[in-house]
Amino acid sequence: MMTRLVLLMHLALRNLRRQARRSVLTALAMVLGLALLVFTRSLGDGAHETWIKAGVRLASGHVAVMNPDYLPRRAIENRLSGAAAQAALTALARPELAPLVETAAPRLELHALASSPRGAVPVVVYGVDPAVEPAFSQLDIRLVEGRTLTAADRLQAYVGVGLAQRLHLQLGDRLVLTTQGADSSIADQLVRVAGTFRSGLPEVDDGVVHIPLATAQAWVGVGNDVSSVAVLLHGSRETERVVRALATALGDDHRAVALPWQTTTPELDSAVKIDDYGNYVFHFVLLLIVALAIVNTILMAVLARTRELGILRALGLRRRDTATLVLFEGTLLTTVAGLIGALVGLAVTFGIFRHGLDFSSFYSGEMTAAGAIIEPVMIPEFRLDHMLQNVAWIVIIGVVASLYPAWRATRIEIAEAMKFEG
Amino acid sequence: MTDTTRTAVRTEDVWKIFEHDGVTVEAVRGVTVRIDPGEFVVLAGPSGSGKTTLLNLFGGLHRPTRGRVWVDERDISNLSEHDLSRLRLERIGFVFQAYNLLPILTALENAEFSLLLRGVPADERQRRVRALFAKIGIGELEDRRPSKLSGGQQQRVAVARAVVGEPALVLADEPTANLDSVASGALLDMMTRLNEDLGTTFVFATHDPDLMARARRIIRLVDGAIAPDHRP
Repeated sequence: MMTRLVLLMHLALRNLRRQARRSVLTALAMVLGLALLVFTRSLGDGAHETWIKAGVRLASGHVAVMNPDYLPRRAIENRLSGAAAQAALTALARPELAPLVETAAPRLELHALASSPRGAVPVVVYGVDPAVEPAFSQLDIRLVEGRTLTAADRLQAYVGVGLAQRLHLQLGDRLVLTTQGADSSIADQLVRVAGTFRSGLPEVDDGVVHIPLATAQAWVGVGNDVSSVAVLLHGSRETERVVRALATALGDDHRAVALPWQTTTPELDSAVKIDDYGNYVFHFVLLLIVALAIVNTILMAVLARTRELGILRALGLRRRDTATLVLFEGTLLTTVAGLIGALVGLAVTFGIFRHGLDFSSFYSGEMTAAGAIIEPVMIPEFRLDHMLQNVAWIVIIGVVASLYPAWRATRIEIAEAMKFEG
Repeated sequence: MTDTTRTAVRTEDVWKIFEHDGVTVEAVRGVTVRIDPGEFVVLAGPSGSGKTTLLNLFGGLHRPTRGRVWVDERDISNLSEHDLSRLRLERIGFVFQAYNLLPILTALENAEFSLLLRGVPADERQRRVRALFAKIGIGELEDRRPSKLSGGQQQRVAVARAVVGEPALVLADEPTANLDSVASGALLDMMTRLNEDLGTTFVFATHDPDLMARARRIIRLVDGAIAPDHRP
């Protein structure tokens, strides 16, 4: 059995070498196809990662620890206890999780009315820790005027530039924030504008105010409770792992759960999935073209070798052996081409385009989608699992595309094949 | 009375009828024949007389429409494809008009092919092929691909491939048709010698007079049947 398989493999190799030009041309199509697949998929992965990170920075992070009833109303009575928040932060500092975490920010999110002498508008007030928030939301680098919050601040506010314009606020101007306190009473908080930011997202720029966390906690009377602990990871792929670890760390506390970004920002998740779907269609078409090239080459090889396959049958090869021979040829060709294609794709993607593909010349202002700013530079990301999938797909397609020619090979009638003038 | 003598191949009222586009052709009509081990037999007859079809029936390349065929006393008429492949591998050698060597293999690899399929160890395969090549005068050609061999040399390799497995039967369809008279004569000498030395049974389909002259028995076919004046 083994001898026969080795013999068939040997014959398949020699057949491919005999039709070197045809084999190389087909392999070239596959190499280009796979290289393109690697390139577009790496770029897509990188773009998605950037997109997700941009989205979760201005939302609840890759992982959010919160009261299980907090979503979707985000009411203050469904807040997270200070103890649970501290437990989450302690767990995130453990050696097994710390390397995965870029930063973790406790936040108190309040829906409020912001009033100035020129008017009042509904806003979302975030009580933030000035020490960690800049690294999280990166709104510090979006500073338009003034300064960001510091640890020494108590009654300062960092407001969206659109909101400042709507309320005609200047640096140092007073702003009254009104919301419902923890005891259901109406609570006011006076703050002064320390700085303004422009995130690029209208809903943030027109309606977000950052104030110090301690000020926000005191304002609504929640002690050291927060709305959530937002966790920003180095990569979104670690989300599930961190969610599981936090769930374990939070233990029996039924008032605290760790939720992935797909749950806290479902619109972003949907947008990524829709974009993924578009990519899958493109990749499917690409792989279909590769498959047709393989079918064509292998089928031509079978038809041109009708007499030869007849001889092999006459010499004692079984029908299934001829099918195996043809399958070996298709699989060998695609495996070799697949591996070369993957290497070429990697070389092009991470050699030539490692700093990204810059589309900024096509952008006019900020482009946003699903609550995230789309970066004009798409930086490719290497994902071993996707790379292995790409090669596996090519090999699977090679085998599948060889099935029909293999079946045709089994249908050859020996006596008829002998008459064939190949 | 049942004949219990062992035969290399025999048929009993065997028919082969082809149908193409509604046209029926009776290529072999009720042939009953027996060929004993060690015979050197020619199936002779004009083109279209059914020589090749009968040869293909002997080799299991065609299935009889009616009647039965035995090879080495095994009824092959209704064997499965798998068993027919095994039979061809182990009991039958083929020599074709157009040589039909595998172009991707060397002369030695072509000749040892059936031994390889049968799982014969490499040392044994090569020993047997080399001995045979030496016997038929192509010992120095073992590393050449078919494209580097003359027609006569290719046909010798093809004969070596057919006999190296010591089959019960070697079936040769017009083996000299593409050869000049010198190459043809040399090939026939070689096959005659193999028949005499090894006792290999040869059955030819041919209208080559030189080959017919060497045959110890000629079975004449006319319109798919054995000629009336002939007693096989």
